[in-house]
Amino acid sequence: MRTDASVHAVPIPEGLLEPALTVGKVTPGSLDDQVLAFPETKPPKQWYLALAVTLTALGIGVACIGYTFTTGIGAWGNSSPVFWAFDIINFVFWVGIGHAGTLISAILFLFRKRWRNAIARFAEAMTIFAVMCAVIFPLIHVGRPWLAYWLFPYPNERALWTNFRSPLLWDVFAVNTYFSVSLMFWYLGLIPDIASMRDRTTSKLRKTIYTVLALGWRGAASHWQHYEKAYLLLAGLATGLVLSVHSVVSFDFATSVVPGWHMTIFPPYFVAGAIFAGFSMVVMVLVVVRETMQLKNLITMRHLDVMNKVILAMSCIMGYSYMMEGFTAWYSMNEYLHHGFMNIITGTYGWAGWITISCNIFIPQLLWFKKCRSSYFWMILVATGVTIGMWFERFVIIVISLHQDYLPSAWRIYKPTMIDFGILLGTFGLFFTLVLIFARVLPVIATTEVKAILPDAQPSHGGSHE
Amino acid sequence: MSQQKPTPPILLGAVALGAAGVLGTYFAAGPERFWANWVLWFVLMFTLGLGSLFIVALEHLVSAKWSVPVRRIPERLATLLLPAIPVGLIALGAVPVLYPGSRPEAAHHPILAGKAFWLSLPFFSARTVFAFVLVVIALAVLVGGSLKQDVSKDPAFNFRARKFAPAFMAIFALVITLVAFDWISGLTPEWYSDIFGVYIFAGAFLSGLAATALSLLYLQGEGRLEGVRQDHLYNLGAFLFAFTVFWSYIGFAQYMLMWYANMPDEVIYYKVRLAGAWRAITFALAALHFILPFFALVTRDAKRDPKRLRRVAILMLSAHVLDMYWLIFPALGGSPRFGWPELSFALFFLGGILLWIRGAMQKGEDMPVGDPFLREGLEFRL
Amino acid sequence: MSKKSYAVLGLFDTPDALMHAIPKLRAAKLGTVEAYTPYPIHGIDDALGLRRSPLGGMVLVMGVLGALTAFGFQYWISAIDYPIITGGKSAASWEAFIPIMFEVTVLFATFTAGLGMLLLLNRLPFFGHPVLSSKAMKSITRDRYALALEAESETFDSAAAAQALEAAGAAEVEVLPAPDRSPFLTSDYILRTLGSIFVACLVAGLGIYSLIKWFPLLAPMKYMQDQPRLNAQKASTFFKDGHGMQPPVPGTVARGYLPTATGTQEAAATLVNPLPRTKEVFAQGRKVYSNRCEVCHGALANGAGSLTAAYGAKPANLQAQQFRDYPDGKIYWAVVNGKNAMPAHAAYLTEPQRWAVVHYVRALQRAQNATDEDLKVVAP
Repeated sequence: MRTDASVHAVPIPEGLLEPALTVGKVTPGSLDDQVLAFPETKPPKQWYLALAVTLTALGIGVACIGYTFTTGIGAWGNSSPVFWAFDIINFVFWVGIGHAGTLISAILFLFRKRWRNAIARFAEAMTIFAVMCAVIFPLIHVGRPWLAYWLFPYPNERALWTNFRSPLLWDVFAVNTYFSVSLMFWYLGLIPDIASMRDRTTSKLRKTIYTVLALGWRGAASHWQHYEKAYLLLAGLATGLVLSVHSVVSFDFATSVVPGWHMTIFPPYFVAGAIFAGFSMVVMVLVVVRETMQLKNLITMRHLDVMNKVILAMSCIMGYSYMMEGFTAWYSMNEYLHHGFMNIITGTYGWAGWITISCNIFIPQLLWFKKCRSSYFWMILVATGVTIGMWFERFVIIVISLHQDYLPSAWRIYKPTMIDFGILLGTFGLFFTLVLIFARVLPVIATTEVKAILPDAQPSHGGSHE
Repeated sequence: MSQQKPTPPILLGAVALGAAGVLGTYFAAGPERFWANWVLWFVLMFTLGLGSLFIVALEHLVSAKWSVPVRRIPERLATLLLPAIPVGLIALGAVPVLYPGSRPEAAHHPILAGKAFWLSLPFFSARTVFAFVLVVIALAVLVGGSLKQDVSKDPAFNFRARKFAPAFMAIFALVITLVAFDWISGLTPEWYSDIFGVYIFAGAFLSGLAATALSLLYLQGEGRLEGVRQDHLYNLGAFLFAFTVFWSYIGFAQYMLMWYANMPDEVIYYKVRLAGAWRAITFALAALHFILPFFALVTRDAKRDPKRLRRVAILMLSAHVLDMYWLIFPALGGSPRFGWPELSFALFFLGGILLWIRGAMQKGEDMPVGDPFLREGLEFRL
Repeated sequence: MSKKSYAVLGLFDTPDALMHAIPKLRAAKLGTVEAYTPYPIHGIDDALGLRRSPLGGMVLVMGVLGALTAFGFQYWISAIDYPIITGGKSAASWEAFIPIMFEVTVLFATFTAGLGMLLLLNRLPFFGHPVLSSKAMKSITRDRYALALEAESETFDSAAAAQALEAAGAAEVEVLPAPDRSPFLTSDYILRTLGSIFVACLVAGLGIYSLIKWFPLLAPMKYMQDQPRLNAQKASTFFKDGHGMQPPVPGTVARGYLPTATGTQEAAATLVNPLPRTKEVFAQGRKVYSNRCEVCHGALANGAGSLTAAYGAKPANLQAQQFRDYPDGKIYWAVVNGKNAMPAHAAYLTEPQRWAVVHYVRALQRAQNATDEDLKVVAP
């Protein structure tokens, strides 16, 4: 039976068509002028104001870390039996947020979803900044951060090696690999854009800097061929990382025997949670970016709509995971598991459990409604809720399981200190400082990638790429 | 136009021979052996059908265009769920024989007593029937609607399917978890693993993909499915590769976590499967379900090579059978059983499945000709 | 440098124009056809006749190498060089090596992909290419598409090339001079690169080494050496007498040494010896007796110990009728609490030891006051 394109095709109704990826007339030249204007011009007053706020937060964080350094971990709330608290909560939180960027750049690239092109650059940058924030915590929580190099297996006078059977060491390798790969991926993507900036700029200093950073990129087709192959391979490799890095982080908990931690569903559950938290952060930042940088024609409501759908999907996966945890707590007939689960909803920290469930499962259900997916107010409400909910989820997992495990005589209440909060605030300060600087120094949209998907960008050969 | 080819007598003969062996198993090899095989093949049919239906729903959920030309194949494969239902209802006979939770002794077992009501035959059956009802509804909407659209050419189906797809995902999550916990891990009710639903999902999805690929190549070989190119094959191959890795990741995560914590009530599951002859089967599973397909599909060319894909698809389906066997048969105790009972059941069920699929391949057009995105799908280029 | 032109560049306004020009220019065989575009163009690789990129194979090989290296390294460290059992897992547990093996595989593969693509295949960084300083470069990275006919030999005819480009539809044509460069990889370049890498490593290594050695000695890091806690055998400002070590508070009882017979000796008469009369119990009792009791009460429990008259008190003769009539409990009470000049022995005798010595005393009493019955041999 012949079913090629000559067969009578059914017309596509309006409701099934997807909106265009760019609004209005966008040409490669206008794209460059719009996006590359930002690194080329001085930032407005509001930017300096915002930077002042983030730098203050960062300063508070640095002061608190300095205090921890000089006084010791006793400055934090960590104490028996909750030996891991804000330090690990924040670490897992920030590593999770990084995953959205990698998913957008790598996985969506593999699926050939062209809408990723406009947001991939920013998302990848957020990944790198988030991982930088995350890495602070393993370093400072060891008590003697200047000995952190002991985490690496180097030949030493004591003939000692690291313990490869510890998930904490797997973390070291995983997070370092993640950072290196993300950095490499981000930088490779930047090269053609920096080449554009190099050829546009009139300032000698900038031209020198961009020339060095662009490595002499000239857009040769033979180069593009290898470049595209490298990009595809990196996308495939980074996809593996999205799954593995947060799974390795989940192993920190799942390999133990603490009730509520040793659940086999932790690896995919953590990965889903990471994507969930990350996308929410991306949505929040992109809403601000598209408004303040007048990029509404490139970061369109379609982009936000699709990202909100991903957030909704992840919320459903989280709901499944919570239900499986609850079911297993009963099905296992294990009184410790059961107690641990009941603690989440009715214990001392039950309020944290309810914040988690409401922010992660209930509130995001609003995104079923198109109205909420296209309204700034609702989507920022949901995204903020998710960020808070995901932080509290780590709190629930870590503090609730630790504060009441097997031995009732060891049950205690955990109270964080102002230093704990100060450091958390500091990481937000670091993250947003880096975001602000990035927004004015490098192209926030991958102009090269977006140029490639503009209508008329490719020679016509009658093929579709969806 | 569907082609009416005569059913090859060898298939019918195999099914008849298998049927005789199946009956014989009950009386000669004992009810436990009979029921273990019956449950195995029920689970295989059900996961294959459900996995195929998942593919269909996923395509609607993400509004994929490239897959429209090949969507009819998993739709037809999903109809396997229909004969799976009577097979499943008969399989309920296995519950008192193989599932310790349903027996009266469970009421006194320290772990099972609290959930004996859940594991008992009436509640088990109720859940199974409920799952079947949901599955029939999903089939009617997704597959029935698609077949109707061939004739009506009404795009209303696309709207309906897109709206139904998220609901299907919820149904799928529930049903696959039920199958995993009730039918498979219910054989060892003192054991539990909350990733088990995800593990069975990975296997089901993979088997659906492999069956889709195999059917696609078979139809292409028959000269049907004109317009489907290597670009489409590549995507299918890429999914096979990606989800092979995903299955391995889930399988390894479950194993490694249980190995690491070494809790006696969890680790017993693996100790049984690493003892004696089962050890060889475990290694074979890792080799056939992960290592071989991984390296067979890792290169770009391999993913779009029809010969390679055909071999890997057959390998994946065999590995899925081995996976389910590895999960279910240790319930019989002792070393892995493989003899004329297993062969008869294989002949009977495999023959039956092939007969059914042959019939399904005649239903409706080979491509969803009523779908407005068919043209775009055919024009897809990498 | 040389007046010879290296290439002739033609700028095109649309990708279609570019793609239509390529076969014409390749057919003209005037030079190597290279394209310069702001983004990758579909189908251009085949149009230009470019060979497939070998990067995939390179990455696969390096990835496998990474996996083997990581696994081998972990195995060697954990199972061969310094095997330690942790968590009850064998030193060679392969399961634990998988996560790091996976990450290192990805790491090796990534660096091969990135650096291999840049350094090896694209020969970047390279800042001397004539296109970079051409007038067309600005358009190339912005929004126009260029085709270059590059000289393959001395016989390159730039005029003919320019004509061919115009004929093929180029909007602008530019002639590029020969690059002011020597071949990429000269021995000088390699030596300079390796040399600078070596020097950089040396400097970095020395810097890090000194930092690591010095840093912990600075404040506040060195505060950790100086901890306000009680250390054994050191002075302490906490206690009045300045000693870190203090005797236990009076009345402190070591575990297992609680006094168990606290009332009067008469009340203790009801206590029953819980130990059976086995060889081991008697052996223990004998040991305790010879260490603690014999010096006063004598080897035969008759009060003829090694004490001289200077001691001032006479130890009890346990062979006396009075003591042979004592129930076990009263002897036990005397051991625990002491009697008259006999000090309490509870502090250094555990419960079993106290009762064992009671058995032994009873044995000594029986031995010194044997009856005919005692001489009867018990049938085996």
